[in-house]
Amino acid sequence: MTPGWLLLIAGLGLVAGIFSAFKSPRLWLVLTVSGAIASFAAATGMLASGVTWDWRPDFVIGGETLHLRLDGISAFFLILLSALGGAGTLYSSEYWDDKNHPASAPPGRAWWNALLLNMGFVLLCANGLHFLIAWEIFTICAYFLISLERSRPAARAAGWLYLAASHVAMILLFAFFALLAARTGSWEIGPLREHPELAPLFWLALIGFGIKGGIFPLHIWLPSAHANAPSHVSAILSGVAIKMGIYGLVRFTGWLPVPDAAGWVVATLGVVSAVLGVAFALGQHDLKRLLAYHSVENIGIILIGLGFAMIAATHGNPLWGRLALAGALLHVWNHGLFKALLFLGSGSVLHATGTREMSRLGGLWRAMPWTASLFALGAAAIAGLPPLNGFVSEWLVYLGLFDALSEHGAASLAAIPAAVALGMTGALALACFVKVCGVVFLGLPRSKIAEHVHECGWQMRLPMLGLGTACVAIGLVPILFWPALVTATAAWQPGPPGAHPLPSAPLVTLGAFHLALAALVTLAAVALWRRVQQNGVRRAETWDCGYAAPTPRMQYTAGSFAGIITGWFAWILRPKQHSHLPVDIFPARSDFTEHTPETVLETVVEPTGSLVMSISMAARKLQHGRLQTYIFYLLLGLLALAILAVMGGSQ
Amino acid sequence: MMVAADIILRLTLLMLLAPLLPGIINKVKAWVAGRRGPPVLQLYFDLGRLWRKGVVLSTAVSPAHVLGPAIAWIAVIAAAMLLPVGPAGASLSFRGDALLFVYLLGLARFCIALAAMDTGSAFEGMGVAREVSYAVLAETALITALLTLCVQTGSVSLATMLAPSAGAGAALLGGGLFGVLLAENCRVPFDDPSTHLELTMIHEVMVLDHSGPPLAAILHGSSLKLLLFAVLLTETVLPLGRLSVMEAIAALLISVMVIAVLIGLVESLLARLALRRVPLLLTTSFLLCLFALLVAWKGGTWAGQ
Repeated sequence: MTPGWLLLIAGLGLVAGIFSAFKSPRLWLVLTVSGAIASFAAATGMLASGVTWDWRPDFVIGGETLHLRLDGISAFFLILLSALGGAGTLYSSEYWDDKNHPASAPPGRAWWNALLLNMGFVLLCANGLHFLIAWEIFTICAYFLISLERSRPAARAAGWLYLAASHVAMILLFAFFALLAARTGSWEIGPLREHPELAPLFWLALIGFGIKGGIFPLHIWLPSAHANAPSHVSAILSGVAIKMGIYGLVRFTGWLPVPDAAGWVVATLGVVSAVLGVAFALGQHDLKRLLAYHSVENIGIILIGLGFAMIAATHGNPLWGRLALAGALLHVWNHGLFKALLFLGSGSVLHATGTREMSRLGGLWRAMPWTASLFALGAAAIAGLPPLNGFVSEWLVYLGLFDALSEHGAASLAAIPAAVALGMTGALALACFVKVCGVVFLGLPRSKIAEHVHECGWQMRLPMLGLGTACVAIGLVPILFWPALVTATAAWQPGPPGAHPLPSAPLVTLGAFHLALAALVTLAAVALWRRVQQNGVRRAETWDCGYAAPTPRMQYTAGSFAGIITGWFAWILRPKQHSHLPVDIFPARSDFTEHTPETVLETVVEPTGSLVMSISMAARKLQHGRLQTYIFYLLLGLLALAILAVMGGSQ
Repeated sequence: MMVAADIILRLTLLMLLAPLLPGIINKVKAWVAGRRGPPVLQLYFDLGRLWRKGVVLSTAVSPAHVLGPAIAWIAVIAAAMLLPVGPAGASLSFRGDALLFVYLLGLARFCIALAAMDTGSAFEGMGVAREVSYAVLAETALITALLTLCVQTGSVSLATMLAPSAGAGAALLGGGLFGVLLAENCRVPFDDPSTHLELTMIHEVMVLDHSGPPLAAILHGSSLKLLLFAVLLTETVLPLGRLSVMEAIAALLISVMVIAVLIGLVESLLARLALRRVPLLLTTSFLLCLFALLVAWKGGTWAGQ
């Protein structure tokens, strides 16, 4: 079947899903998942064949003819959308079912389909006006999904913050597309690299798409929205919705000319987002908020790759640029996969325990072996450890950076801090996920709620299993996914065929190494396990320095674990501490709490907002509805005009 | 077939030689202190005994407590495959293997750390927190060292990067990497492998609850890691790639012994640092590597030109 028919089936499936959402959850599930499968097939077919699908019916929306296009870049993102959309759909059918959420489940399903549909449209639209319409609708759908649990004030606040931030982005994008249309005379968007006068528009796109993408310091809406949304929504927000910002940046840096400084700025923002994102993540006690900050980190890694691709494009297109771009794009997939896995895993924890507070969890592996092991797999993948997918994409970005370095040119000096920051980010992410897995899943339950838990059902387990398999597959046989990268990078800045080839990377060798590593690890694990069983196992209490009555509350906490590193970053994290230290010989109650706020929101945005508010309130005094004063203003105005006429009347 | 034989031969040699290093270090420490000390082969005896011993598992642990050491052990062995031996190169070498080397050591750290968190002990949590936090700085320094070698040789493959020495910046890089070696292998002044106070330890406290074969895997893995770092350090400082194979192997052996003696002397003569000073020393290592990078950058000549 051609991509057009498949996309039609996908669209029809999703639209029909909206209508069945209220009446029949089962039909909704079938329709939505088949829609996702159809669009997955369409995108895969496009990437495999490399043939762009272009459709221009005589169908007018808002005065503009509909124009859809599926090229390498949009297909690349569409695959991710379909995969995570399908996984999330299946997951939500158990996680957010009608029994437990009778009021919010049916509209939640409808908004979910509308979200998927409009994100798909954003990827396909080749007309600026339609792009904006789809963008706005998907933003609003996401708002309703974030605040699905409207009874909780935190969810409402997160929704408002998201809506406000998204509309600031929307204004900038309106300006961007309107100026673009004004200067080119048409709303059609496509390759326009030969118009250097369009370059300054890049800055509008950077901020507009950057807010959606969650680039530090534009990420203020992201942590609370991801934390308070239902987990399948968090997964799609983090896995796909913020990638729409990346899609916009990739698309328009490829199609439009950019200022010379653009690449450097993007790479710098990438470095800042990567390092500070993970630093903020380490300071969090809320499982989902922590994962949300890791999205900022991974967006940073993607931007480092994109930034260097842009630098390369303005410096005569050396080969390493495409390699960095390939790494960035593969990381878009990878981050989508493992972050969705982690969010779904955290959803299972939330479902079972009812809390996101890590300090109250612990020892969950006993009751939830599936969730625990899949979460650990996702954790190893996001920490960039071989033989999983996170390593492959980070490795490609590294290769780009190291090649840029050995070229000994202007970009090389920038490659040094970028590579060092990337290394540091990897080690910090590792520390953070040792903390998460250790505190949440290992050890002993820290509270009553962590004792009585249950494993999630197969509808929640299956999507996680699928995502985990994808993470392993990209790690073990990366060469299978290379053609997709070749097609996508070729579509970035369209030129004559073969003008800027993607240089080959030794992915076959890396894949073979990973396979061997996986095989050896399995072998060694089995051997060691059998040896342990043969030698005999005795059970005993954990060694606690000879202390006779250890309790689970004496386990190391998440806050103490991260203390060393959050101490290094205290200048930006600004942790708030409240403590009553023990005093006197017989100390009474003593306690200590530490909380890392969203620094940018609390120290920059909120003060600015209240300043604007107070100025506006002061200005309001001028207008209070008393007629006498208005007549007085009129007289003053007339007087001023008269003076102006008399003084400047000579001309 | 030849490749497989080569890989197996080299790995066997490395794995057989690795437990010698802690023995030498302990002997040096004993000599400086005027004691006779344990035999040089002590670790071999320990490993043999541990492999035959039964296991005491904490009531809190999950299967990760046994799987972690297994994965970590294989990760270090896999990293050993990538390390070249002078002009003979590595048994497996490809573009970008230098980064794989760093991340394999990361994988080992991740698994050991999780296996330790598994016990639910506050001490082990403390040790893990320190280990993963200080590793951030150590890994940053290591990446900087790799960048230096990349500037020097224009390559991202360990075999090519390590064939010539680091050139003008070799002394700086050697100093920096020696610091990383001490930190990553939990030696004085970062950590004290022979302390008996759980509160002050980093690495040793992580393995407090391990016993039997898993402990043997951990101990062997860490001795192998020490050997890897010693070889890496040697090859960044000495241009082994320019010698013949036999000469290079002899030089490598001697140099690894010298490094072991050096570690022993450092352990005998220096006190362990206060924990809050550890980051400062690691930052110093990072800065040394960074200066080496600047020297290499300014030197700007490729090897062989």
